Amino acid sequence: MIPSGEPAERAGAAPGGGAGPEDLLALVARGDERAFGELYDLFAPKVYGIARRVVRDPAQAEEVAQEVLVEVWRTAGRFDAGKGSASAWVLTIAHRRAVDRVRAAQASADRERRAATSDTPYDEVVEAATARLESQQVRRCLKGLTELQREAITLAYYGGHTYREVAELLGSALPTIKTRMRDGLIRLRDCLGVTVG
Amino acid sequence: MSVDIHALSGAYALNALDDVERAAFARHVRDCTACATEVAELRETAARLADTVAQAPPPRLRERVLAEITRTRQTRRSGTDDTSSVRRWRRWAALASAAVVVAVAAATASWVVSDQRVREERARADRLAADQAEMNDVLTAADLMVRTVPVAGGRVTLAESRSREAAVVVMSDLPVPPDGRVYQLWLMRGQAEAVSAAVMEPGQRAGMALVPELGDADQVGVTVEPAGGSTGPTSPALVTIPLA
Repeated sequence: MIPSGEPAERAGAAPGGGAGPEDLLALVARGDERAFGELYDLFAPKVYGIARRVVRDPAQAEEVAQEVLVEVWRTAGRFDAGKGSASAWVLTIAHRRAVDRVRAAQASADRERRAATSDTPYDEVVEAATARLESQQVRRCLKGLTELQREAITLAYYGGHTYREVAELLGSALPTIKTRMRDGLIRLRDCLGVTVG
Repeated sequence: MSVDIHALSGAYALNALDDVERAAFARHVRDCTACATEVAELRETAARLADTVAQAPPPRLRERVLAEITRTRQTRRSGTDDTSSVRRWRRWAALASAAVVVAVAAATASWVVSDQRVREERARADRLAADQAEMNDVLTAADLMVRTVPVAGGRVTLAESRSREAAVVVMSDLPVPPDGRVYQLWLMRGQAEAVSAAVMEPGQRAGMALVPELGDADQVGVTVEPAGGSTGPTSPALVTIPLA
């Protein structure tokens, strides 16, 4: 196998052959379009998946996914491996842009109405998980949360709601929702064995 | 460390804060090492939630993205070429026009435009037409993101477009600066690197500035400086607002 490193050295590397996402991102930061192609194949399904889930409308979701992936190309130099994984970096951008899109799409009055009437099916969200192993692990860990933790987290992440909207949807106090999001994510972190650095 | 703001880490990692809270929390994290670790871990955790929704995008998306990146300039990490870009930055201008103010007001919902102020702005609008055209271009960008941060009884609003690589910063109702002092706007990377983006006139406490090139800056900040401005901040920032 050809070692990853300088672009020239890995010119003949098969797609996905050896270079991890962090290496790919470093190559992309130096303008390596081929590495970007590999990075695309690695992350586009999740980026698009988030956009579809949060934005709903397929055409808009595609636009958001395109914006996100081009932003990854443009700003790859900002990625700092000391602060987290390449995957989290890319998917945080994807989620943020998807959320920006749903929030920008609505005047605030409109948004309040949505918050009051939305019936985001969080069960369906959890049930819609694919059969892949990492996905199963996430599902299993989500099941280990209290109902309120799980609802708060899934409404925010998959529904793109602010914690105020989540509090309204669930009829809970703001501080409670804030706390459940935090302790729920902490429990999820421990269940998934997530570490940074 | 404030216990209350610390509790927002979960909502922050889930992008469930509004723009003002997000900016406040991001500032907090910068000065709080323990929080930074927790936030990094919770973000990492939140990102795993994407695992359950992955689906194959339409094949045309790949073609489009790969075509677009060949036309897209990358931001550079090094901040060594800052001096030349200073000259491209416009001076901090008085509020450009009612139209621009209204555009920002519509997006921030917290802005109040008085008739008096609008009349004054209109009177000054002529000499600012060029800047205004560029500002309008930024303010009408499809990906405009607006953040307003309250500061000392007034507020500073950042309207940022990643597609334009530019931002408009609006300062309003700040306290009158002390004699011989002015407000200065900085484009910053971390706390250490700052490049002047605009300097206000003595006595000026409201204004709007175009920042035509964001480069790899990660925040904007406002300080109080001697009249005419400084080459680097000489006092702690009154406010910083993170760039996207």
